[in-house]
Amino acid sequence: MTQSQLDKIRLELRRGVLVLAVLASLKEAHYGYSLRKQLNDNGIEIDEGTLYPLIRRLAEQGLLDSEWQQGEGRERRYYQLSASGHSLLGQLTDEWQQLNGALSNLLGVKPEETA
Amino acid sequence: MDLVTRYIAAVQRELPEDKRDEIGRELNANIRDQLDALTEQKGELSDDDSAAVLLQMGHPRDVAQQFVPPQPLISLSYMPVYRYTLYMVLGILFVLQIIASTSAWLHSQFGLLLYLKSIASGFIGDACLAFTAITVTYMLLSREPTAAAKATPNWHPRQLPAVGPGWQTISLQNIFTDLGTYAFLLVMIWYPLWFTPEQLEAQRISLAEPARQFLTWCTPVLLAGIVLNIGQLKQRFWNRPLLIANVTLNSALVLILLYLAVSGPLLEINMAALPYVFEWDSLQRTIVVTLLITACFPGYELVRDLLRLKRLARA
Repeated sequence: MTQSQLDKIRLELRRGVLVLAVLASLKEAHYGYSLRKQLNDNGIEIDEGTLYPLIRRLAEQGLLDSEWQQGEGRERRYYQLSASGHSLLGQLTDEWQQLNGALSNLLGVKPEETA
Repeated sequence: MDLVTRYIAAVQRELPEDKRDEIGRELNANIRDQLDALTEQKGELSDDDSAAVLLQMGHPRDVAQQFVPPQPLISLSYMPVYRYTLYMVLGILFVLQIIASTSAWLHSQFGLLLYLKSIASGFIGDACLAFTAITVTYMLLSREPTAAAKATPNWHPRQLPAVGPGWQTISLQNIFTDLGTYAFLLVMIWYPLWFTPEQLEAQRISLAEPARQFLTWCTPVLLAGIVLNIGQLKQRFWNRPLLIANVTLNSALVLILLYLAVSGPLLEINMAALPYVFEWDSLQRTIVVTLLITACFPGYELVRDLLRLKRLARA
């Protein structure tokens, strides 16, 4: 398998969990850049071109509340989970744990090793 | 004007008008945050540093498309039915154009190349109009929020055709080619009906009277071919009854062509009007050979369908 094929499959694999990662990070309010930094610090690399449109889409779906605030001499748009975002995060977390357990069985590893 | 402002403006140009301000404002804030973080690491930033950050963001058009993904003109769920409609309408227009061009050709007796050009130019004109009309209609249908649900008709697994070999699917191209041929032959046989005696007299090439009389009696075979093709449009799947009908039809066509080849002159040619073009005997021989070659086509289909019937009986 070539490197580009591997990159493509990795991208597809990660794309599905990005929403979960973003929702989980937005339990606290973040603006675009700070959210990206938090995700990167936790080992989830995501480029700006993917993250910023994704946050907007989630906000348009009513899963995030947003507010423009002045800070450090500049305005920033802060995002945080809405009530329905919280509810969805709970459901997705259950789903993720089930999936993780099932995959761990298939892969023959303990769930902690895949987390 | 700094690079970031130019970049944001370039992204905004690619966005729908109602989203430009908000996305531009947010993108500006995010890029400035990124540049601030870089300044903290490296100190004062040069234009090259800013350019590197913007290059990493991606081309303005790509960034705009990620914020507002481009919508296809026609919803993907409508695509199969859109293509089917297009092929059907273009096929019907092709048949109508053959009828119109053949009528015009018989009226004016222009050359073969002009006849072919008349078919091609008339069909291309009509096809462009039909393509535009059909595309615009499906484009409007695709804008409805429930487009995907409407595009999938009610169905039941029992309605699906039985599994068979690939040849059992009848292509639209074959159906419309056959329809075009039958339409052409019908116009050729019945054209005296809408010609005045003077116009008939002025014809340089026409069907010989015995041949035309014989072909008149063959009209039901051609009409049966049209009915069979229309039936195939409804059910594009070869089954036993359809194969038997096609075998019967092709047998009749082979017999008709062979009879025309052996029964005497097919065409009546005004040699005075075309003195330098043809020699009578060589022209008649050419017509006989052409008829025999033409008979090979339905002959081939006849043998093919008999073999298919045999295979179906064994399955």
